Amino acid sequence: MDYTSKNKTEQNDMLKTIGINCIKDLFVNIPRNLVLNKLNICHGNTEQEILTHLHNVAKKNKILISFRGAGIYDHYIPALVKEIVNRSEFRTSYTPYQAEASQGTLQAIFEYQSLICALTDLDVSNASLYDGATAVVEAILMSIRYKKTKKILISEALNPEYIKVIITYFKHLEVDLIFLETTNGIIDNNTLLNKLDDNTTAVVIQSPNYFGLIENMKSLCYWTKKFNSLFIAVVNPLSLGVFCTPGEYNADIAVGENQGLGSPMSFGGTTCGFIVTKKSLAWRLPGRIVGQTKDIKGERGFVLTMQSREQHIRRVNATSNICTNASLNALASCVFLSGWGSKGFKKLAEVNIAKAKYTFKQIKSLNGFSSKFGDQTFFNEFVIKTTKDINKINKILLYNNILGPLNLSNANANAKLKNCMLFCVTEQRTKSEIDSLIEILKTI
Amino acid sequence: MEKLLNEISTCCQPAYDISCDINIEINIPSNLQRCSSLHFPNITESDLLRHFTNLSRNNYALSTTFYPLGSCTMKHNPLISEQVARHYRFNQIHPYQDELTIQGNLEIMYKLEQDLCAISGMDYFTLQPAAGAHGELTGLLIIAKYFETIKQKRTTVIIPDSAHGTNPSSAMLAGFNVITLDSTHDGQINIDKLKQLLNENVAAIMLTVPNTLGVFEKNILTITELAHNNGTIMYYDGANLNAIVGIIKPGDLGFDIMHINLHKTFAAPHGGGGPGSGPVGVKKFLEPFLPIPRIINNKTHFVFNYEKHQSIGKIKAFFGNFPVILKSYVYIKLLGAEGLINSTKQAVLNANYMLAKLRDNIDVPGGHKCLHEFVLSLKSILKNGVKTVDVAKRLLDYGYYAPTIYFPLIVEESIMMEPTETESKQTLDKFIEIFKIIIFKEMLDESDKIKCAPHTTIVRRLDEVIAARNPVLRW
Ligand SMILES: Cc1ncc(COP(=O)(O)O)c(C=O)c1O
Repeated sequence: MDYTSKNKTEQNDMLKTIGINCIKDLFVNIPRNLVLNKLNICHGNTEQEILTHLHNVAKKNKILISFRGAGIYDHYIPALVKEIVNRSEFRTSYTPYQAEASQGTLQAIFEYQSLICALTDLDVSNASLYDGATAVVEAILMSIRYKKTKKILISEALNPEYIKVIITYFKHLEVDLIFLETTNGIIDNNTLLNKLDDNTTAVVIQSPNYFGLIENMKSLCYWTKKFNSLFIAVVNPLSLGVFCTPGEYNADIAVGENQGLGSPMSFGGTTCGFIVTKKSLAWRLPGRIVGQTKDIKGERGFVLTMQSREQHIRRVNATSNICTNASLNALASCVFLSGWGSKGFKKLAEVNIAKAKYTFKQIKSLNGFSSKFGDQTFFNEFVIKTTKDINKINKILLYNNILGPLNLSNANANAKLKNCMLFCVTEQRTKSEIDSLIEILKTI
Repeated sequence: MEKLLNEISTCCQPAYDISCDINIEINIPSNLQRCSSLHFPNITESDLLRHFTNLSRNNYALSTTFYPLGSCTMKHNPLISEQVARHYRFNQIHPYQDELTIQGNLEIMYKLEQDLCAISGMDYFTLQPAAGAHGELTGLLIIAKYFETIKQKRTTVIIPDSAHGTNPSSAMLAGFNVITLDSTHDGQINIDKLKQLLNENVAAIMLTVPNTLGVFEKNILTITELAHNNGTIMYYDGANLNAIVGIIKPGDLGFDIMHINLHKTFAAPHGGGGPGSGPVGVKKFLEPFLPIPRIINNKTHFVFNYEKHQSIGKIKAFFGNFPVILKSYVYIKLLGAEGLINSTKQAVLNANYMLAKLRDNIDVPGGHKCLHEFVLSLKSILKNGVKTVDVAKRLLDYGYYAPTIYFPLIVEESIMMEPTETESKQTLDKFIEIFKIIIFKEMLDESDKIKCAPHTTIVRRLDEVIAARNPVLRW
């Protein structure tokens, strides 16, 4: 089936208006000898057939109780979020080029930008980026253009997916990417100071970092500023209900992934990156930005603004090549963030900590399991070292419909993380789920 | 106009709440704690529902009106795709699950890659890029890596002046210098100029076919041959693929690498600015450079392959925007070969029909035949100080979204219309009638009405200059 609507008579009328005899004539400019006589695609299906087929395919996926994070998280999505993002008026519109006919999307993005600013204590957010990884890339690009140097210090405890993407983007651009080693899971001031110099463009630190640990962002940022370098904070937005904000420690740019704010895990996409900065760097931001303005009657309205940064105007000199971004996910984040209230949002972060901490305490008291990084502060992820076979642990957990911890054994070249695994516990996990995880681990 | 969230905030019970069945001290060291107060609104579920529902009603959307936005392929998005993509067995999947527990997802990705190969004439696809521009960058990095591997130093990319802005900016980001190729007056590639520009330094030529005037590049085979004789790679920007699906394959035209915008040709909705998906297809000789991981079918099941030493690496965290990929998979399954071919034909028929009804009185720089879209230049008919933007705004008063304006940059006072295949003749007739009333009647008799349009939208003409000069970017 298809979704075209014309009958034969209409089609013939149209051909006549065009002045040709048959549909074929529409394609006369195309090299004759290359026109296909067959397309190697299966026959079409009805909706019902599709549903049957897709249900069968879906059965090949297994739904698990997740104790795994590492960049994509199982968080609760309130019904309201789903209700709003499913509205076709949002879903089936394009980038809001015609502002007067797109005030819904534009105002929602303006609200999103405002909420991201409130959350991070920074001044200017854009409308969204592809994901957390490319958001870090864009932040680095901003800093390179601003400082006109190309030396970037990056925490090795940055999410490895992000590190891989950064390397892909920068290895051919003669950018000096220097990785900072962790000490007991976090970046030590001295490690940073050993590498910092006046030539350093920016320092990229993730907190909570890949191991779930909270970095001492205040002092890392303080020292970075002493060398006039930019500080790029990679943060989990949910953690900011409780932990020190990029604005508080004076970061220049904060970036991260919005998936946890109202978008399902969906196999790691659709993702949505956020980027937020200080006023002084606003014109260097990539991508769409929505601004408030007035109409000819003096009424408030919203438009895409500061567009002279963008590819459709600046072309080779644009701040980024991004065009389509992740607007609908930003809308989800907007609806998500607007429903908790300040106290509720803080509580949500605290529940994550409480559940993760409870799990952590239980596991490290088991025989053969210990905390890799002592009693350092973490958000909803932590690393456990074990004397047991991690693959076997995960196999047994899987048998019990549990997605166990991520095996970090091979994650680090110098074997620092041998026999280590990364657990994640969000507000979604109930006490009884956690307790059965513990019971199973006991038996291994 | 709808109030802002901070203006409807009260001291009520907010919409969501969370409980905790675990009692534990969380004890965060004070130097790590948030000290600033968090200024989030307090709004009930019912007020938030009204707020966002009202906002949605301030949008024109494909589900409410004709949306002939050229270059964006705003075709109907089948609803069954949405239903499938929301299925919990696709949604509640973690990217790091064991391969054996994600066979459904891997199968869909693998099969969509195959379908895209069949449609495009490429040999392999990656679904990792998150949008068209992201695909462009991926493609250009692949090209860079290829030349590095065969030890040729090629530093430039040729891009026509009619190209989308993302082309040059992606090329820049991939580390290339961009050479702009001026088009002929009818938007075609100037072969003589191209010959002058081609040398051993040129890594690639990026073309959009049909071009951004909606016209097939008549010398395309000569161009690809010239490029290949020069060792240059041909890049196909797939934004306009809707014009040729099932009719001809970019691979057969001599293109070596391309991206596809699933959110255009393959009916995934655009979401007001994404998420999208920009799969990249390559001919066999470029396969080693595709992003990792690749999905392979090892007969019993599907697995990831990370062992590709010449790969450019990862371009995005995880594997791609899966729900968008799934929607396009469903779309192709729904339509099948016949449906896809018929859709192309109807898209081209619709565009030519509209063009035929307008071409006698308005300049058409691309000529009197087009493929899936066409570009008019209003320059010679604009009167009484009316500009193309005013005409676009006036269309909003009649309930239509406006076509793309001022793109491509090579046409003055341009307006680009793309009806797509899913619009009926009645819709097109009505739209053309209104468009003609605006440009042939109102422009003469009531030009002020056009110049201060729109009149019926939720807000009147917005001042973009104030917005940029004095940015207010948050509440
Ligand atoms: C011709 C052309 N190329 C590239 C793009 C960029 O695609 P995307 O917005 O998916 O990044 C567009 C989108 O409008 C386009 O029309």
